[in-house]
Amino acid sequence: MTQIGEVALWLALLVAGWGAVLGFYGGRRGRGDLVLSAERSMFAVFALLLTTSLAIIAAFLRSEFRYKYVAGYSNRELGLFYKITGLWAGQTGSLVFWALILSFFGSLVVLQNRRKNREFMPYVAATVLSVLAFFMVVVVFASNPFEVMGFVPPDGRGLNPQLQNYWMTIHPPTLYLGFTAFTIPFAFAISALLSGRLDTRWITTTRRWTLVAWFFLTCGIIFGMMWAYVELGWGGYWFWDPVENASLLPWLTGTAFLHSVMIQEKRGMLKLWNVLLVIATFLLSIFATFLTRSGLIESVHSFAENTTIAFIFLGFLSALLLASAGLVWWRRGAFKAESRLESFLSREAAFLVNNIVFISVMFAVLWGTTFPLISEGFFGQKIQVGPPFYDRVNVPLGLILLFLMGVGPVIAWRKATPRNLKRNFAAPLGMAIAVGLGLFVAGVHHPYALLTFALAAFTLTTIVVEFWKGTRARAKIEGEIAPVALLHLFERNRRRYGGYVVHAGFVICFCGFAGKAFNAEKQMALRPGESVTIASPFGHVYELTYQAMSWYPATNMTKLVATVDVKRDGRPAGMLAPEKRAYKQREEVTSEVGIRRAWNEDLYLIMAGVADAERFMSGQDPRPMATFKVLVNPLVPWIWLGGFIMAMGTLVALWPAAEVVRVTARAPARAPSPRPELVGV
Amino acid sequence: MKKQSRFLAAGVLLCGVVGYLMVTGMKDSMTYFLTPNELAQRLMANPSFAEEAGVRVGGRVVPGSVRFDQKTLDLRFTLVDIETGRTTFPVHYQGPLPDTFQEGRDVVVEGRYRHGQSFEATSVLTKCGSRYEAAESDFKSKQS
Repeated sequence: MTQIGEVALWLALLVAGWGAVLGFYGGRRGRGDLVLSAERSMFAVFALLLTTSLAIIAAFLRSEFRYKYVAGYSNRELGLFYKITGLWAGQTGSLVFWALILSFFGSLVVLQNRRKNREFMPYVAATVLSVLAFFMVVVVFASNPFEVMGFVPPDGRGLNPQLQNYWMTIHPPTLYLGFTAFTIPFAFAISALLSGRLDTRWITTTRRWTLVAWFFLTCGIIFGMMWAYVELGWGGYWFWDPVENASLLPWLTGTAFLHSVMIQEKRGMLKLWNVLLVIATFLLSIFATFLTRSGLIESVHSFAENTTIAFIFLGFLSALLLASAGLVWWRRGAFKAESRLESFLSREAAFLVNNIVFISVMFAVLWGTTFPLISEGFFGQKIQVGPPFYDRVNVPLGLILLFLMGVGPVIAWRKATPRNLKRNFAAPLGMAIAVGLGLFVAGVHHPYALLTFALAAFTLTTIVVEFWKGTRARAKIEGEIAPVALLHLFERNRRRYGGYVVHAGFVICFCGFAGKAFNAEKQMALRPGESVTIASPFGHVYELTYQAMSWYPATNMTKLVATVDVKRDGRPAGMLAPEKRAYKQREEVTSEVGIRRAWNEDLYLIMAGVADAERFMSGQDPRPMATFKVLVNPLVPWIWLGGFIMAMGTLVALWPAAEVVRVTARAPARAPSPRPELVGV
Repeated sequence: MKKQSRFLAAGVLLCGVVGYLMVTGMKDSMTYFLTPNELAQRLMANPSFAEEAGVRVGGRVVPGSVRFDQKTLDLRFTLVDIETGRTTFPVHYQGPLPDTFQEGRDVVVEGRYRHGQSFEATSVLTKCGSRYEAAESDFKSKQS
């Protein structure tokens, strides 16, 4: 049964290669029959990869441990859910999964563009199929999920305990959806270069795809942070770890791209820059996939040590880079800007600075992430740079972004007049100063944190004012009541107002990040009955009393659970139950933290250790001493809230407008098609 | 086009500031990856090497060398070079024992070292947990 999957994998490679060649050739020669064949190859590859993926899942469900991949990531006791997600638990499976998603997106694009963008489509299909073919080559030749071991082990090694977590099962697929979706704008950019049609059309066509990619990437990054927060057990959510950084890199260039396309649409500037940004975003997505899955750079969660793959990926990246650079050079005459920058005080300038800042952050993160490789290559000595490096560069740049988020959307195009500036920024500036002074008097003296809150007030005020102005204008003109007017405001200009919502979410996230400046931490060894107190920066005091320890066996692990009573300013405030879990198969121990969430802070409790756990479990010592680490993490809930708002705002921006008429697939073949163009997804 | 060159100058200035931040940030947070052997060689050339820069040393915990005080969370153990099994360093760490810390396990310690004293670790990481990929030998040893 499972052999079908392997056959399908080989066929997918052949069909993808075939389609890629036909697409490029047919597009050049204008041969419609060949192009059609290339487009149909996309559907075939999708069907074949789906078969392969189902076969892998079937092997997991039937516990076929003769397959090295299944034995490495599953065992008999693993739950059904984690067996299904085994498809993306390891390197080879996740590469198949990546390709599956890409072929799905590719098929969608082909379907969408049956009757439009015909001059782009041969190259779009060919580009996507080339990327697919590359992934197939890696899977088939370097990292085959159907590799059979010389013997059948009685049981598998089981899934790494840290991956047995809800967030960890949805985090990788979400990130992959984001990475792969960026292939579509890239494919359109390549087809624009190849066909020489470098006006804004490739951008407007892929606008919604870019937003879809950005949506998934943002969600994926936030899910990853949530996973790190609850599962890694050190009280933080971002470690500047290579793998985390890798997912951030395409996000940074992608975000820069989302902004700079507006300049091209409105003013015909930055044409070359946009092409470069979309190419960079795609290359960084590939880089991120490969960094996560190759273990080239040491990381807390590097997944593998398969360096063959590293070299194949590096080769692919270099080839893509050279090909893209060559194409851009070939078309260098077509990027002439239609207008020029006129003033520092203009929307164009604000967007430009925004882009420079995003790219600077990207370069700093890329530099820091790859520095162990650079230093080893050039000085023969592996040197790592730590979180202080990233904080030092990125915190000031982040503050500039925070400021620009308030300025960019409301400042005038071309050149702002003093009157325009005063009208738009008097209220926000006043608010910023009021919040800054208020917090300073209230005892917030950390300079960066204070600046963050003041700038957040500035930006949020501009957003609120924008909504208020729009609603009032509509209410007046259309005679609607305020809530209806607000709803229609969203409907009429989803992109703009959705964008504002994303900005508001981002500002709230930033406040959450700034909360780190006020973290409180304590570490204590306690006997049952003893307490520890910790003061929150908000002024109240938590008292935690270690009541008792218990233990019980669960499927594939043994749990040690401490019961800890929490009092807030002397009043009972619930209970926390941090755990230690000892897993049978891998002889590994993990900690499950106890978190008490409030709207403004988390009380975060880690059971760091239990003295003589063996004596306790054999009944000799019923009251074991345990070590606890207590943290108060102010404003962390705001990060999740801000992330949620960002996701909602993106959905508003990319939701298809209501008036789009769906065209059925069974339209008469001979009918001429003067019908309105379909928009987006 | 005087104006356009002004814009260019502003852009260059912004990039310069970023560059400055990067360079100074690097100085504060550089950490060298070494084995105990390599660290010993570096110290011979420059005895204060590991006081000036952070080092990250990967080695093995010597069986029988671990002393951990549950009450004060004071951990002391000896780290030995994995390949040669010769060069050793005494390590001191203040904090809870990492989850999978065991005698004979491979660990990475990060911190600073003053000659003649213990290696003062700011973090102790166990290496094994990060290896997600299984080798064929992992199954063979279980069979027997």
